[in-house]
Formats: sequence, structure tokens, C-alpha cells
Amino acid sequence: MIIDLETPVLVTGASGFVGSAVVANLLEKGFRRVRCFVRPSSDRTRINSLVRQYGSRQIEVTQGNLTSREDCLKATENCHVIYHLAAGTGEKSFPDAFLNSVVTTRNLLDASLEHACLKRFVGVSSFAVYTNRDKPGGRLLDESCLIEERAELRGEAYCYAKVKQDELVMEYGKQRGLRYVILRPGTVYGPGQKTITGRIGIDTFGMYLHLGGSNTIPLTYVDNCAEAIVLAGLREGLDGEIFNIVDDDLPSSRQFLRLYKRNVKHFRSIYLPHFVSYLFCYLWEKYSLRSNDQLPPVFNRRRWHAEWAGSKYSNNKLKRLLGWTPKMSTGEGLARFFESCRNGRHA
Amino acid sequence: MLKVAIVGCGKISDAHAWAIRSINGCEIVGACDKELLMAKQFSERFHVKRFFSTVQEMVEKTKPDIVHVTTPPQTHYSIARECLEYGCHLYVEKPFTLYATEAEELLTLATQKSLSVTVGHDEQFSHVARRMRRLIQSGYLGGRPVHMESTWCYDLGGDAYANALLGDKKHWVRKLPGRLLQNLISHGVAKIAEFLVGDNPQVMTHGFVSPFLRRAGEEEIVDELRVVIRDEQRATAYFSFSSQMRPSLHEFRLFGPKNGLFVDEDQQILIKLRGKRYKSYAEKFIPPLTLAGQHLGNLLRNGRSFLASDFHMESGKKYLIKSFYSSIVDRTPVPVPYGQILVTSRIMDAIFEQLSAGGPPATTLPLNSSVLATPICSS
Repeated sequence: MIIDLETPVLVTGASGFVGSAVVANLLEKGFRRVRCFVRPSSDRTRINSLVRQYGSRQIEVTQGNLTSREDCLKATENCHVIYHLAAGTGEKSFPDAFLNSVVTTRNLLDASLEHACLKRFVGVSSFAVYTNRDKPGGRLLDESCLIEERAELRGEAYCYAKVKQDELVMEYGKQRGLRYVILRPGTVYGPGQKTITGRIGIDTFGMYLHLGGSNTIPLTYVDNCAEAIVLAGLREGLDGEIFNIVDDDLPSSRQFLRLYKRNVKHFRSIYLPHFVSYLFCYLWEKYSLRSNDQLPPVFNRRRWHAEWAGSKYSNNKLKRLLGWTPKMSTGEGLARFFESCRNGRHA
Repeated sequence: MLKVAIVGCGKISDAHAWAIRSINGCEIVGACDKELLMAKQFSERFHVKRFFSTVQEMVEKTKPDIVHVTTPPQTHYSIARECLEYGCHLYVEKPFTLYATEAEELLTLATQKSLSVTVGHDEQFSHVARRMRRLIQSGYLGGRPVHMESTWCYDLGGDAYANALLGDKKHWVRKLPGRLLQNLISHGVAKIAEFLVGDNPQVMTHGFVSPFLRRAGEEEIVDELRVVIRDEQRATAYFSFSSQMRPSLHEFRLFGPKNGLFVDEDQQILIKLRGKRYKSYAEKFIPPLTLAGQHLGNLLRNGRSFLASDFHMESGKKYLIKSFYSSIVDRTPVPVPYGQILVTSRIMDAIFEQLSAGGPPATTLPLNSSVLATPICSS
């Protein structure tokens, strides 16, 4: 490990679904100075539960806003490893997503470099950054695949912000010697997760359209994902590396939907074959262009390739360089997820 | 070619950029944000060649004809003043300024320098608002409005902005004199101000923190507001703002001496309210039929606009910006008269003053009360 258990580590977005699992993982590993950075408006249920379990000596909860340089300076003080999970998730506005992902990351990096004690910055990105086109390994989507160059044309603020965030981190690596690792989780799921991923389908038009079909869904159980993120901050010799995070034995979209309906609730869904969903995205994109965005380009061919074209996934690099293995099997993970959905812990 | 620059590259700037790029004969020459990364992302997405972190540098290097100020309201006055000093025409997002005195200063300065100014009350230029105005100008009301009712709602539930505001005691909206209301009510107030006579309407305010917010531990943010307004010629208006009532309406009703009008901004519906009654049972059967016909007409009109690709969510903003640019080029009157901007600002000042003073008690709200009815004369 590049740090010992007494060294302070910072987790941003610590109250979130993945962030709180990262904090729990660090505490389980015996870290005794875990600083959790949360927004004033965050729901602290998960963090408070960990504080009760481990005591406030091991967890320090710092409240602030990463858009504030002062708050960033305070948060990063003495921290040798930063797990950066805070992001503008769910934002539809491009400027808001950018502000809450890129500007905040820049502030955090500047602050940590000012303290000059940072040994590793772990940036948590997303599969959303990949184009999923012209893949060198055929259908295999791995860390060598192309990033969306014109991310603003995807029509998804989150994708744009994450591409720019990754660019910023890499630029700091090149120009200012930042020691970083970037992790790109697939679809993180687990108890408490609220939605079915859009890779399977959408309910935008008042009915559930199943778009995934036989595509493999790049799932990663929240605790498996957290384990990978934590290891990426601790292992020697990983500077500048990028890792995708997916579990083993991934189900197809059709399998997932069938299991969901059987185990949680039944609802009607209509399957759109790939050529139909592609045509739909193509026509929507063209109409959006022709009508000068009367309908915003939320469906387009770039998004279709990224989410519905289908791929194979690999976690070989994760296993090889981090020594990571998914502790939770996909079967057991899905069972727990469905159970939490049944118990009402999902929307 | 009109050269346009934008100061403030947050959420609303995207709508401005879209509208400006849809208008022939203009070009965005510069973007500015005190956070340079924000200016950079804006310029990258909208293909703007130059971006800056200070207004001074942007204006000096790009020499824009028009500057759009899309920053938080606290900064509107200082940025607008700076741009006017440089000789730029101004489009300032709503609310125009924090105080009416600032609005007066800006409009006076603009007049002295022969520059044009407008405010982002774009809801007054939506399809339905323009149709309403044409009907009023044709004399449909049968005279000046006798009474108006403007309802403007904002759903606090499930919104990132609301969550951030409620959870953050240091949020910038809390630092506004009128807090949440200041950032939200100007559209609804401006609709009334358009039809008021004189500079000194009387304002009576009753506002409170909703039980919903109180349960969430909030005690500062007034999210329920009821205002009575009366102008110099005794036309009256009710303005209601609510975060809790459902449906979350954006409506305007005008009643003249002859007929009335009903405008629904959300559904883009305009309904004529016939003043004359039918005889006997005919009143029970003919109006429902004519109303059904009017709703069908609205549906067809909206459908036609959509098919003509003229039904964008921000079409009011585009129309306002286009009208403003035309007024500059053709030297014609600005789309929002300065008097209207001032009256809107003054009504808002009066509302916030009364709220901070505790406002009139809920049970006694006499229209003729000289104590509670505050003239909003600025002097």
C-alpha cells in the first residue's frame, strides 16, 4: 500500500450510493482517519449509519461545497489519497453538470497540489465517456477504446461533464505531475439504487420500451465497485492508469428485465429491435437538427452506439493490476437488489 | 452584423445562445464568466471564438454591440453599469436588479447614452402572450383592465435547485433581499405591471413559510405569497405565488368592462371570456360548447406552430431577443417599456419590504387601509 492505516484519506461524494460504500470499505480495511466530504444539502442517512457503527474518531464528516476553493483547501488538508466521487449526476443542464463535475475537480486538484502531500488522486468517471464505436477489439469495450470526442453532441450533460473531467485530470497529470488513477464503473447497482439503467430501456413515453435485447449489461455490484475504487487508491505503481469496473457473469438486458419482473413487480414492456431503436434515434436526431432543437437531441446515434449497440466487457486489467475479484456474485447481488426493490427502497 | 457577448455562462446562458444563434444578422463574439472554465465550456459548445474571465477584458477586446447579462441577480447592476459605460446595449436577465433604485439608475444612464436596455421577461412574448396582447389592442376587453389575476407557481419537490437551496444555509438565493421570491416572481409580476397606469400602484402583501417547508425545518424561505395591487385608476390585481398548490400554475386572467381573457402559459392556451350572458338555460349549454371550440382551436394552433418548428420551449425568449435587436437596428421602441421595468421593480421592492416588516396580518387585509397599503413611490 502507498499509505498506512493512520494516513488521512478524503472521500468526496461520501454520502452518495457509491461514495458511502467506499467509506465503508475503507473503514473495514482499518483506515482510522477517513474524511467524508458532503454537501450541506446531502442526505446523510448512510454516512450517519457508518458514524454510529465505527465512531466519530474514525470518520470525520466535513460539510462544504467543492465549488468553493476555501472548502476544498480545508477538505484536502493532510490528505494523501483522495477518492473523488462527487459529480453532477442527474443534471440535465450542461453548465450545471460541468460546474459540479469539472470546476469542482479543478478546485480539488488545485487545493490538494497546494498542500503538496497528495500521493494519489482517484477520479471516478463512467462508462458514459466511451463512444463504443470503432473498437480495436471488435465487440470488446475495454480501457483502450475511444472516448467521445464531441461529447456535447451526445445530448447528455453527464457524458459531456465526465469527458471533460477525465481530460482535466489527465492534463494535471501531464503538466503538473499529478499522480492519478481513473476508474470507470459500468452500471452500479445494489440495495438502495433507485432505477433500472437506461441501457436496458426507457419509460420516457409513458410505456416501458425495452431497448437492450440480448446486449450484455455492464453491471457492477456497489460493494464490488467500492472495493475496486479503494484498491486503486492504495496499490503501488498504478499512476496514470485507467480501469473499467464490471463484475463477472454479466446478464443480458433481456435476462435482467425478466428477473426484475419476476422478483420485483410485473409491468408491460415493448421490445424494440436494434434496427428500430437505431432508426428512431436517427430520425429524432435529424428532426432535432431540422427544427433547430424544437425537440432537444436527447436521442441520437451517438447515444444509441454508447448505450444500445451492445458490447462485451472485460475486467481483466482490474484483476491483473489491482488484484481485484468481485466478492459478491452477480446472482447474489441481483437477489439483494431485487429484495430491496420489493421492500420499497426504490422509486 | 450585430456583435453580441454574454456575461455569465451558467444554466440560462444556453437558452440565450440558442436564441441568438437562431436569429439572422448577429454573432456571439465573446463569452465571459468569472470562472474561466465555465466561459471556456460555453465557447466550446457554441463555437464562440473568444472567452474571458472579466467583463472589462471581454468588452475591450471584442467590442460587442450588445451584452447579455446572465449572471446571478446580485451582480446585474454592477455588470450592467459597466457595460453601459462601455457603450453596449443591454439584455439583462430577470430580475432586472435587486432594487428599484438600481433599475432607475441603469435606465437613466442608458437613456443619457442613447443605449437600449431590456429585461428577460420573455414569458410576455410567448405565442399565447402575443395573441393575448393583439386581442387587447383590438379592444376585446372593452377598455382598460378592471381586474387582473396572475398566478405563478414553483414546485419545490424533486428539483435539484430547490434541494440545494433548502439544504444550504449559505446558498446565494438566501442572500437576495427577497430570497427565493426575488428569483422567481418577476415574470408573474411583470404581466400585471404591463397593464397598470402610473408609477405608484399600491401593494399589500401577505406571505409565509408553507407548512411543507416548516416541516423540513425551514423558517426563512417564504414560499407562499398573496399580493393585492391597485393602480392610480383603481384597476386592481391579485398576484399569487405558491410552491404548494397543485397544479403548479402559470396563469394570467384579465377582466375588462366588456370581456375577459384567460391565458395558460404552460399549455399555451388562450380563452376568451365572454362578458355578455345568454338567456335562461342557453347560458348553461352554449358557453361549454364555445369553450370546447376554443380549446380545439388552441390545440390546432399549437399543433400548427409545432409542425412549423416554431414551438420551442424558449420561443418567447427568442422573440424578445429578436424584437430587441430589431429595435436597436431600426431605432424603434424597445419591446419592454422602461416604465414597465420600473413598476415591476417597485412592486417587488414593496413586496419584500412588507415581508421583512412582517406584512399585514392574515385576518385583516382591508383594501382601503392607509397603513398597510404601501405606495411604492421611490422618492
